Amino acid sequence: MILNTGRTIPQGNSVEYKPSPEYGAETSRAFLAPLDLMDLGIEDGDRIRISCGDRSVVLTVSAGDHVPPGTLFVPYGAHANHVVPAATHGTGMPDFKGISVDVEPATDPVRSVWDLMEDLGGRRY
Amino acid sequence: MIVRDVICPFCACLCDDLDVHVEDGRVTGVDNACDLGSHKFMTDHRMKGPVRRTASGWEEIPLEEAIRETAELLEAAERPLLYGWSGTCGEAQSAGVHLAELVGGVIDATTSVCHGPSILAIQEVGHPGCTLGQVKNRADVVVYWGCNPQHAHPRHLSRYTTYADGFFVRNAFKERKVIVADIRGTDSTNLADEFIRLQPGGDYAVLGALRAIVRGKGDVVPPEVAGVSREQLYRIADLCKTAKYGAFFFGMGLTQTAGKYKNIRNAIELVDELSRHTKWTLTPMRGHFNVYGFNEVCTWMTGYPYAVDFARGMAFYNPGETTAVDILARKECDMCLVVASDPAAHFPAEAVEHLASIPVVQLDPFPNLTTAFARIQIPVAVSGIDADGTAYRMDGVPLRLHRVLDRGYPDDAGILLEITRRITGGGSR
Repeated sequence: MILNTGRTIPQGNSVEYKPSPEYGAETSRAFLAPLDLMDLGIEDGDRIRISCGDRSVVLTVSAGDHVPPGTLFVPYGAHANHVVPAATHGTGMPDFKGISVDVEPATDPVRSVWDLMEDLGGRRY
Repeated sequence: MIVRDVICPFCACLCDDLDVHVEDGRVTGVDNACDLGSHKFMTDHRMKGPVRRTASGWEEIPLEEAIRETAELLEAAERPLLYGWSGTCGEAQSAGVHLAELVGGVIDATTSVCHGPSILAIQEVGHPGCTLGQVKNRADVVVYWGCNPQHAHPRHLSRYTTYADGFFVRNAFKERKVIVADIRGTDSTNLADEFIRLQPGGDYAVLGALRAIVRGKGDVVPPEVAGVSREQLYRIADLCKTAKYGAFFFGMGLTQTAGKYKNIRNAIELVDELSRHTKWTLTPMRGHFNVYGFNEVCTWMTGYPYAVDFARGMAFYNPGETTAVDILARKECDMCLVVASDPAAHFPAEAVEHLASIPVVQLDPFPNLTTAFARIQIPVAVSGIDADGTAYRMDGVPLRLHRVLDRGYPDDAGILLEITRRITGGGSR
């Protein structure tokens, strides 16, 4: 499937305090077309794992009529960036949209933003 | 107390009509702001004082010590990266560019992960820009391409386009046509007179097809281009050509998809083509409230708008090489000073990982995800709330932000100048 990331009002509202539960909840949402939920055998509120190369992250699914089938939309943030490749193709800008990812149902819990930072070698504050 | 006509320091609309209620040194309410602006004024999760990471946790340290250690880290670094700058004012940005030159580092702004590609396109073919006042008073056709202003710039439509009556557009809602191009339905596409729903990655092709039709070469356009029918393309082209004044706004949907700056170059050349028939302008929907300011400040100081490398003792600019994500992903920098941004939240994980292996110092009022990688964080005043300064609106108009209260925090510029003074020993070098 094709991953696109972008801004949303809830993400922007909590952007000045990212350790908040509101921020983590918004950036770990994945909006998929209802038809894709049927294909994956999952329902609104279930979880999926998206993978790109050797990186993956678990997200909570929201059904969205506005999302074209074959794509998923994830609000900007640490969760999506956990799988976004760093290559900029000589422009300085990574591909934050149009990323080819594998999607599968998951039962693992969604990790907090501090968990993700600790995975990368940081320490929660 | 109510402070009137306050400028909002959230996005680059820089709305200048806010009324801010202040009681006992705190903001208790905000009138006229959008949801995003209100939350910024009302957020009260600031870090109390400077902190340093220890072997097992965090310790509070005096400001003096935090500044001294930061200066030592910058001086000792072989290739420091000074990144961020879009959430602070021009005065701090200017101090940052001087500091980068002093330590022979690389200075880059969040521009490189938002409208950097727009600047690359503008450097190729120019910028047919205008002020937002021109749009409000004259534009009868407005395009939003690859952006969702209802979520990212919520008052853009009410202050400048759909709902903003102007001198020559007396009843904006009726007289002004709005075209929105996106790959998905959004709260902005819901308001459009024409919604161009294109396939992911189809922007370049659709812009090219529109250029062909406007130029009179529509016979080369196939029945469908990236999910958009030829009939709709002809309809859009006609709407644009017959406009009295058209304004083209665009966002990350063009800058962050495949093609990057070539998408924007095609958009600029469409505007150029349309301007052979009528008057059209183009404006990037800049995100952070002063990201445009960094490009202005950096250009008048170094000749380049972002991604400037001083390692050679002169300004060197090569996006793709001297941009922050590339430098981090190559594990090239050995120290990072982050000012007024949060790369750990907004960079790909592969770039963030390198922050864990080098000393990082952050100047930011709030704990954020980059705090997780910081050796030292110095909390500073919030520009436009408890610090004065100059910011540039998305159309390049500089506005003076005034503080509405004093929380006792130092501002970014003051800290940066003190770090510089420590390195130079008080004199110039």
